[in-house]
Amino acid sequence: MFPLPQKESRAPTACPGLASAQDLDSNHGDGLERECSRKPERKLPEFSGVGDAPATVPSDSAYLSSRGSVIKWFWDSAEEGYRTYHMDEYDEEKNPSGIINMGTSENKLCFDLLSSRLSQSDMLRVEPSLLQYPDWRGHLFLREEVARFLSFYCKSPAPLKPENVVVLNGCASVFSALATVLCEVGEAFLIPAPYYGAITQHIYLYGGIRLVCVYLDSEATGLDTRPFQLSVEKLEMALQRANSEGVKVKGLILINPQNPLGDVYSPGELRDYLEFAKRHELHVMVDEVYMLSVFEESAGYHSVLSLEGLPDPQRTHVMWAASKDFGMSGLRFGTLYTENRDVATAVASLCRYHGLSGLVQHQMAQLLRDQDWISQVYLPANHARLKAAHTYVAGELRALGIPFLSGGAGFFLWIDLRKAPPTLQYLPEPTFKEEMLLWRRFLDNKVLLSCGKAFECKEPGWFRLVFSDQAHRLCLGMQRVRWVLEGKPQVPEDSPSYQSQEPGGQCR
Amino acid sequence: MGHRLGTPRMNSGRMWGLGFRNQRIHTHLMEMMLCLKQTIEKNLMYLTIRHPQQDLVLEEQRHSQGISKQEALLGNLMYQLVNLLQSGAMGGLELQWSWPSLDVRDDVGGGQWAQSSRQSDTLVHPLSDPVATFVSQHLSNRGTDISDLYHSIFQDYKIYQRDKYHEVKNTLGFINLGLSENKLCLDLMTERLSQSDMNYIEDDLLQYSDWRGQLFLREEVARFLTYYCKVPDRLDPENVVVLNGCSSVFSTLAMVLCDPGDAFLIPTPFYGGFAFSACLYSKVELILVHLDSEVTDANPCPFQLTVDKLEQALFEARLTGKKVKGLILTNPQNPLGDVYSQDSLQEYLEFAKRYNLHVIIDEIYMLSVFDESITFHSVLSMQSLPDPSRTHVIWGTSKDFGISGFRFGVLYTHNKEVASAVSSFGYLHSISGIAQHKLYRLLQDREWIDQVYLPAYRSRLQRAHEYMTKKLEALGIPFLNRGSGLYIWINLKTYLDPCTFEEELLLHRRFLDNKLMLSRGKIYMCKEPGWFRITFAEKPLRLQQAMHRFYQVLSEQKQDLIVKQLEDTQRE
Repeated sequence: MFPLPQKESRAPTACPGLASAQDLDSNHGDGLERECSRKPERKLPEFSGVGDAPATVPSDSAYLSSRGSVIKWFWDSAEEGYRTYHMDEYDEEKNPSGIINMGTSENKLCFDLLSSRLSQSDMLRVEPSLLQYPDWRGHLFLREEVARFLSFYCKSPAPLKPENVVVLNGCASVFSALATVLCEVGEAFLIPAPYYGAITQHIYLYGGIRLVCVYLDSEATGLDTRPFQLSVEKLEMALQRANSEGVKVKGLILINPQNPLGDVYSPGELRDYLEFAKRHELHVMVDEVYMLSVFEESAGYHSVLSLEGLPDPQRTHVMWAASKDFGMSGLRFGTLYTENRDVATAVASLCRYHGLSGLVQHQMAQLLRDQDWISQVYLPANHARLKAAHTYVAGELRALGIPFLSGGAGFFLWIDLRKAPPTLQYLPEPTFKEEMLLWRRFLDNKVLLSCGKAFECKEPGWFRLVFSDQAHRLCLGMQRVRWVLEGKPQVPEDSPSYQSQEPGGQCR
Repeated sequence: MGHRLGTPRMNSGRMWGLGFRNQRIHTHLMEMMLCLKQTIEKNLMYLTIRHPQQDLVLEEQRHSQGISKQEALLGNLMYQLVNLLQSGAMGGLELQWSWPSLDVRDDVGGGQWAQSSRQSDTLVHPLSDPVATFVSQHLSNRGTDISDLYHSIFQDYKIYQRDKYHEVKNTLGFINLGLSENKLCLDLMTERLSQSDMNYIEDDLLQYSDWRGQLFLREEVARFLTYYCKVPDRLDPENVVVLNGCSSVFSTLAMVLCDPGDAFLIPTPFYGGFAFSACLYSKVELILVHLDSEVTDANPCPFQLTVDKLEQALFEARLTGKKVKGLILTNPQNPLGDVYSQDSLQEYLEFAKRYNLHVIIDEIYMLSVFDESITFHSVLSMQSLPDPSRTHVIWGTSKDFGISGFRFGVLYTHNKEVASAVSSFGYLHSISGIAQHKLYRLLQDREWIDQVYLPAYRSRLQRAHEYMTKKLEALGIPFLNRGSGLYIWINLKTYLDPCTFEEELLLHRRFLDNKLMLSRGKIYMCKEPGWFRITFAEKPLRLQQAMHRFYQVLSEQKQDLIVKQLEDTQRE
């Protein structure tokens, strides 16, 4: 349930068990825009599946403001799992007993193709205009390429326009900027859960806005035909609940293909959700960052930009990035496409703070322009490799008797560790605490997964397992997963224990 | 008072559908009447109730402060009401730009610029041009504010982007001497960045990395700053956070050091970007420490910053209940081109330490000191910083290397808490791994920097500066003759009659009409009208062309002034 922001009870209440990500807002959201008179030891949000020992903000920092302390908390806790991994990263030669990362959603299957493409001579041009202050929306040459690229790959009925494109340094910035220009502090977006958890941070840091979860069930009952199915009814209910609690909802976030479920919305479903949003005058932010990572053709992916006659084009905002589909999360390229000029302009006003280097803009434009390479070299290879890795991991899981969801898109499987053969009992009790312990057992056995809590899944016991990695790492990773699940952990010698570590928020 | 008080500002005079608009005005009128009523009640309460307290003097002070605060609020409310009524009566297309926002201590409206006009020394709006905007039904209030603010500040820049001067292709285009951009070394930079070591691609560069910046880059930044800032001990890469530009660094610092409504001290005139950054995301107020151009006993140099002035501004701000969290310094100074002496720097830092203020010191022009007789002292070069945990240094490559399009800014702070909190923003201000590698190679190439780049850069700056100062002297225009930065702070007062900011704006527009951009003093919050900043770091031919335009505008202006004065005399 979405917790009410209660002004009187901003003081700490050491509520036991697991708080939801939104507790951040109920406890501290006000700190963003209010003189904060709270003093010591505020209980802080339990964020990405953090189980026991609730994290606390050190009582008033001598140096940071109230909101500064909350902001710092994100760094201290959410990044910790990732840091653990970085301190002991697996390396075939240098650190064979290091941690294998099956938690961060990155595509590591195509670096060979990408680095050879990025090393070609057209990429290396340096021009004075690239070194100077740019058009903050992004250089025109890049926005033109983005428009052409999206028109083609999203199969838009009419060519998309470069004026509707804004380029930023990653989708995180797009989320942040949209939250800032569409909402006042304290307002909210709806989001079906489980969802990519880092969005909470993106929209909170500057935007000061919160998420209202539309919780989905793993059981396909009633009208649902598949697990975790989103329906208009559920959207309506969540919206109503938020309204009744006095939370002003301004928009709906959809991730398509979905993260962490790995499935896609059908055109019919998409239209239903958009109609729902239109009825309630909600903005719809569609995150299509995995749109070219659909490796099963039968999945039948449709971009929202392919729809004829969008129900409410002025309130439909699409985002895409190079992080997933081109496996370049380190490139920091994200883009917004919106027909709403006011929104585009307002987001562009923030671009001074979220700009991308001119040289990288040039490279990105060159890459997007090269449709031959994308369609004939890169995508076929990428899809084939994703499919092979997927097939391998899926086979391993079947052999272990682990149920999982996968809709043929994305880099991950959503695996169900709630039930197990009675002798094994992955989760002795269906609690997030047990989920957490299991997560730690994986980490102790040097494999990093993401637990369902990090995605705000309402049922404990789900994990996201990323398979888009090179074969040798993938095999070793699966071996370690198997050790844990078969109940015969083989903690490598001399390995420090990470009992105190938290899972990473690094789940994109 | 839970509702947002400042809202009416948003709706006044923007182009609403009339029916909708009137309805909104009605609602807001009601809201405001209610608010007015409450304030009056509160005020009465203040007048009658005295809180028993030990210290009578303190109580007296607090009491009268409370009253004056309430009175100011009342005044504001009345003002808004009158304006709202007026704008309603006028049928709607009138623009009322600058509504004073109504933030009081206990009600800091979320989406408002947390700024107040009650006090003349508090920054209200860094602009004076009203700009017609449609209010969007899709944006939040703060979204509309952001859009408006951006467009009012950067509209010239947008015009320039569309119509840039080019020797061959667009000889009638704009020459921009308003932007502080170093265009003298693009040949050297282009050449260096085209060398093969720059084009290294590695898996690591394409993946998520440390959000503070890749370690190899932070290490290089630490080495680089250690060397060029002449740091007594080596700087620690762990104290470095790398973001996409200095604006981002400042914005994140303001977020983590201040709560909305808190304030920073800043001497005027100052780089306008601070004002934009302060109100965009962080809603931090700027308390202006006004400096005077006139030289007196107490003011030995034009625009001299002294501890007295800092102290006075701090006390005045505190008296009005402001929570001052820090001091912003730019060294070398922008727009003055001054370099602080070691002693002054020490004094400012000691002052800050006395009052527990953070010091954000922007040293983005540190390598752009071209006069050899001037020694720049980085704050990092001091033997012992008065308050290292509250001293935060900003640097970037935009100016010193003339690559503003690279988007690279650095924070160096000894304070681990601050570094961590700023790092939380890594997602939102990150730099491409590929660009990080290039920067790393660039900063590492000490030999090229010392033997090729810097000598060429400084001598070109020197020459361009000399050219421009000669022109200014020939025109009899007073200016500050300094040896650093990319610009000169010039005084065009004699071309204004009367000497007001309105006339300053008109002169600015006249420059624009002649396709020349300068930056006017108002943008820098200069308290005296008539000052302009003119950039000289431009290629010789363009500079020549620009100065030609400059001369023409001023001749026309002079002509007009003479005519005007004649007319005035005749009338008398």
